[in-house]
Amino acid sequence: MIDTILHILVPVAIFTFIAAFTLFAVYAERKIAGFVQDRLGPMETGKYGSLQTIADILKLLQKELITPTSADKILFRIAPIIIFVAVFTGFAVIPWAKDFIPANTHTGLFFIMAIISIDALGILMAGWGSNNKYSLLGSMRAIAQMVSYEIPVGLSLITVVMLTQTLNLNEIAIGQGIMTNGSIKFLGFWEVNEIGGFFAWNIFQAPHLIVTYLIFFIATLAECNRAPFDIPEAESELVGGFHTEYGGIQFAFIFLAEYAMMFLVAMLGVVLFLGGWNTPLPNIGAIRLADWTTGLAWGIFWTLAKSLFIVGVQMWIRWTLPRLRADQLMSLCWKVLTPLAFVCMAISAIWRILIIA
Amino acid sequence: MESILFYAFATLAIGSALLLVNLKNIARALFLFFIVLFAMAGLYLFALADFVAITQIMVYVGGVLILMLFAFMLSNKELLKDLQDSSGSFLNMPRWQAIVLALGFLTLLILGIREWQQSLPTWIQQARENNTEIIPTDNNIQQIGLRFMTFYVLPFEVISIFLMMALIGASHLSRKERNR
Repeated sequence: MIDTILHILVPVAIFTFIAAFTLFAVYAERKIAGFVQDRLGPMETGKYGSLQTIADILKLLQKELITPTSADKILFRIAPIIIFVAVFTGFAVIPWAKDFIPANTHTGLFFIMAIISIDALGILMAGWGSNNKYSLLGSMRAIAQMVSYEIPVGLSLITVVMLTQTLNLNEIAIGQGIMTNGSIKFLGFWEVNEIGGFFAWNIFQAPHLIVTYLIFFIATLAECNRAPFDIPEAESELVGGFHTEYGGIQFAFIFLAEYAMMFLVAMLGVVLFLGGWNTPLPNIGAIRLADWTTGLAWGIFWTLAKSLFIVGVQMWIRWTLPRLRADQLMSLCWKVLTPLAFVCMAISAIWRILIIA
Repeated sequence: MESILFYAFATLAIGSALLLVNLKNIARALFLFFIVLFAMAGLYLFALADFVAITQIMVYVGGVLILMLFAFMLSNKELLKDLQDSSGSFLNMPRWQAIVLALGFLTLLILGIREWQQSLPTWIQQARENNTEIIPTDNNIQQIGLRFMTFYVLPFEVISIFLMMALIGASHLSRKERNR
């Protein structure tokens, strides 16, 4: 009985968190945009415009649901649900703190990769169901982009998994701090099991993993369809991309999925490369900073802090870089990121055989 | 609880598969195909094959189905009309042939059920006795990886060469020919 209640409570808690995060992130995004473009951003609603997004969501919830006459009614209705559920399910296997994880499975990482690919199907469904040429063009672009960028993402994940030897995200996170049983070596030569802190993070365990994280970050940015890779939406060319026809709560769900995806990939990057819930502070002699800042509450705090920082970087990039053209986008993926990711994977294999084992 | 979920997945798979073959609207049929594949993945989970279930979603939903939808949306309307107009297409068999096929498959299934002896296969019993049984909470992926690189290394390599051939063929077909 308690199990059943937990199985219901945990998703509800995660959903509440995602909704709250989205409200906060939209506000932060507009403020960052204002800062980058040297203006103020929302200022009218509440102190410093802090109630702006709450007002926005109240407006969206009240709106009438409009379905275009020539749209495919069923597909049009289901699409936002599929898009959101696909991203939402991904949170099931990501750890927040040590053993504090909704589903501790051996196939965690693989599961996320598979479930995220369903998101693409939902986008295609939305584009086709809307029966609008801008929507269809937007969703075609989105799929071409997501399918291509899944390859560098997958390869960079394999690069890490080759070194960690597990697909269980909980174990991957444990292996990057003072709680581990295996040996951790900073850049492959300095044993840092006792010291912990950021020295023990995966990204510093081998030099090529820094490059791999960059590949992962760029490619996941494209998976989220965010600027500079936002040609699926491209307001100036396609009106609004695949969600042109959506309004009210359906649009809110598509928006929620976009921000949930941002947070999901940020968290995935944190767990795989940036130490997950492990503290960035090392033990220095008698000052046991790493020991003091490890625990359940600290774990959740570090996961949140690191992920929010990465989301902040994503927003900063969005408002700094111009949009890539479609052909530039494809050549970046196939001619730069994919070969580089293959090289990293090969180095990882050699590293595993010669240095770790 | 588990048996309810099992039958829910099974009904979903069978029901949407039946609907799928009867649907005239190809776009909807392809999205229904997604539900069939997804329900099949759910059924694999009940067979304790979580790796296969996830691979099913990854390969079929993330790859094959999206390519099918892509091909469907890029092809022109005239071609689609030909496909949707079911008479005269070569996939559309006359009724009696379809019935023969269905009956043949049914006999096969009935024979299979009759052969089944209501008991565990001997190799599972042997593994139970020797305590070498692999239980669902074990790390199956490690087992699969070890088996692939030792016991099944030849089939594994044959598959990789086959995939390589497919890749080379695809890149050859999509190459621009400069001479013409």
